[in-house]
Amino acid sequence: MIALEGVNKIFRLPHDRKTTLRQRFVGLLQRQTYEELYALRDINLKVDNGEFLGIIGKNGAGKSTLLKLMARVLEPTSGTVSVNGTIAPFLELGVGFQGELTVKDNIFLYGALLGMSRQEIEEKYDWIIDFSGLERFVDAKLKNLSSGMQVRLGFSITVSVESLILLVDEVLAVGDIDFQQKCYDSFESFKKNGRTILFVSHDLNAIERFCDRAILLEKGEIKGQGEPDVVIAQYQENVELTKKVHT
Amino acid sequence: MSSYTETCKQRNPLGRRNYLYLTLVMAITDFKIKYDNSVLGYFWSLLKPLLIFGTLYLVFSVFVRWDVENYKLYLLLGIILWNFLAEVTLNSMILLEGKASILKKIYFPRWIIVIASSLTSLLTLLLNIGVFFIFFVFSGAHFRTSALLLAVYLVELYVLVVGVALLLCALYPKFRDIHHIWEVFVQLGFWATPIIYPILIVPEKYHTLIFLNPVARIIQGCREALIGPGGEFLGLTNHIIIISVATCLFVVGLGMFNKLSRSFAEDL
Repeated sequence: MIALEGVNKIFRLPHDRKTTLRQRFVGLLQRQTYEELYALRDINLKVDNGEFLGIIGKNGAGKSTLLKLMARVLEPTSGTVSVNGTIAPFLELGVGFQGELTVKDNIFLYGALLGMSRQEIEEKYDWIIDFSGLERFVDAKLKNLSSGMQVRLGFSITVSVESLILLVDEVLAVGDIDFQQKCYDSFESFKKNGRTILFVSHDLNAIERFCDRAILLEKGEIKGQGEPDVVIAQYQENVELTKKVHT
Repeated sequence: MSSYTETCKQRNPLGRRNYLYLTLVMAITDFKIKYDNSVLGYFWSLLKPLLIFGTLYLVFSVFVRWDVENYKLYLLLGIILWNFLAEVTLNSMILLEGKASILKKIYFPRWIIVIASSLTSLLTLLLNIGVFFIFFVFSGAHFRTSALLLAVYLVELYVLVVGVALLLCALYPKFRDIHHIWEVFVQLGFWATPIIYPILIVPEKYHTLIFLNPVARIIQGCREALIGPGGEFLGLTNHIIIISVATCLFVVGLGMFNKLSRSFAEDL
């Protein structure tokens, strides 16, 4: 179960970002100006066990930030995030692999990062290779794999973690049709096992097909939630509206 | 006010034992990445201190002559220990940069990065000390029982160096140029510590100043323990001073690290 109460996340974007001491000393003379960006504003959200929640919204609406807060990668500026159960996050494009290492070594590293023990990874190893379809590349250096293959590998490892909650951010777009189908099949079996999935996607068909509930984010706020088809309709309506305003 | 609560025991995806495994995997990864790409591979880490040693030995025993018993060993030991300090502290910042993409994706306790890289360097240090002992045997020096104290000094050095590494790593994302500053500092420290020159050539009045540096105390202690002659740096007072400073640095380093590492994903 995941519960967010009154969560705000503010990114302070300095107009002139200072990342060195030298800049700071020079900057003592000038006033630092910030752009305060509310990535998320007063979010209250509860996700029950076994729920499949879709998150939709435009770029920059705060979808990824929301998942990152749940994954504990980011800290909320205010409010509480409580998570009950293990989390397997799969966030952002471009997976955190080590290009110089082989596929095999990367599986062990990534698995360990996701909290698996050596024994668990060894048990899952064959399944991961099979699911990602990378049998031929086990000993290849990861940097020589295509970006699609890397995402497949990352996703396969993430799914193999026996976690209660899975966070999936926009990654499936990179995989080919076969792999996407595999992913959706695995989502089905996830659901059957009562695992929770939070799914960010621009693929509205997929959202409608798989999700029990959807939320619509707009400029960091939850603008709508409920049945996926209703929320999707609202989203499309909003897009139409803004289009009209512009023309 | 903000918080992240873990209500269920299971919430923590990494059990204690898995932290240990993660640390080991990361250390092995760092090790592989570091040496896979160079032709001489792992031998570089052994060769580097030996090359520095060779150069300095040539200069300071052929051109300049110090009146030190077993100067060769004296010099080599100092270089190996200082090299460890330089490597761990500088790597803690470089490695953080390399791990940025993982830090933005997966939560795990951030200190594992620093500990893992320090373990890689620790292995290098131990192998270097093995090389030192080969020199030791061939130079005909006598083995002393006090040599066992080396283990104590190494533990002290490790704690101290990891404390500094944690501190530097914590500050790095907000103050990038700390890397350059620290590089200069390590160079200065190398000359401000009696590594290539014997402490005896320094006027007595500066000794207090030089031994404000706990690393100078450790290096001097190691020498007295292994090469001799035994002196004040084998004493309990020396250990108490070193341990207090090392503990302080470690506690401050870890505290700062825990505070600042929360925003690593945003700052990197």
